[in-house]
Amino acid sequence: MPLRRSFALVSMLAVLGGCAQYENKRGVDITWQDDVMAGMSAGETTRKDVLTVLGPPSQVIALDDETALYYLYERSEGEGLILIVYNRMRIDTRYDRAVFFFDENDVLTDFATKTYAHDE
Amino acid sequence: MNKQLRRAGRVALLLCASALVSGCTVWSYDLGKPLSELDVPANHEQAQMGDVLARLGPPHRIAAGDSGYVMAWEYWLVSETSVGFSLGFMGADFLSMDWGDARVKGEYLLLTFDREHELVSSTVSEWDNDAGGGGAIQPLFGFVSVVDVDDLTERMPQHRWGAAALKPLPKAINNPSNPDLGQGGLQQRGTPTGTGQQSLE
Repeated sequence: MPLRRSFALVSMLAVLGGCAQYENKRGVDITWQDDVMAGMSAGETTRKDVLTVLGPPSQVIALDDETALYYLYERSEGEGLILIVYNRMRIDTRYDRAVFFFDENDVLTDFATKTYAHDE
Repeated sequence: MNKQLRRAGRVALLLCASALVSGCTVWSYDLGKPLSELDVPANHEQAQMGDVLARLGPPHRIAAGDSGYVMAWEYWLVSETSVGFSLGFMGADFLSMDWGDARVKGEYLLLTFDREHELVSSTVSEWDNDAGGGGAIQPLFGFVSVVDVDDLTERMPQHRWGAAALKPLPKAINNPSNPDLGQGGLQQRGTPTGTGQQSLE
């Protein structure tokens, strides 16, 4: 009987499986959706306009009188399979980002944005 | 009959126990999206920064330099495999044997622009390499990690940009030379910090 119990216990442990899921978000909130960006145009929008709409950036870069504002939102999603004998964890990281360049008069010269859907 | 059943039970128990004392773990990190999906400008192509950004989207890394801007787009696929065995079946219950291996696959696009925002150069590199590994026989638990990819999977440096100004000296005064802060060039993930600009600290 002890042998059978031990066998049952070991068998149960062997077939016990688990799963794990996690999400990690870092950076500034995404406020550069298409409808927001539709109101911005090179040669007209100013740095003040961008900061008012998007808030403080992740990074400010300067080249003489030019400045660039860089916004970054980093999202990692992980899924794991835990079978004790074999365990697997996969983590997908996506970077939603926006960059804006301004001339010496603080007027927007170039810009680009990118956001990923949750399932991308 | 009863004897045969017992023997079969013992064999099954041994097999299950053997399975339990060993384990394989695979970590896979997918950072970004493959660059093959992008419309990468050719090296000799004459293009304005605005047009390039419209085609590629914002870069993952950007820095300003004396001659203009340098921008990088990147994609990394890092996989880490580790296997551990207990040496209990050899009579050494207090020892475990571990083995680990890592592979890294990536794509990196580096563009430079002059002060007039014109494309100066375009360089793409791809790699699929062994990123190291190791083995160990350790007492009781795995105290030492035999494979480490933390420097390849760390968060983007833009998150640390503001905090960098609050670092203690001499790190704070070396910020203009730091390749992570947007004014001192760029560096890829996993670049050793013992040489180059960061060796100032």
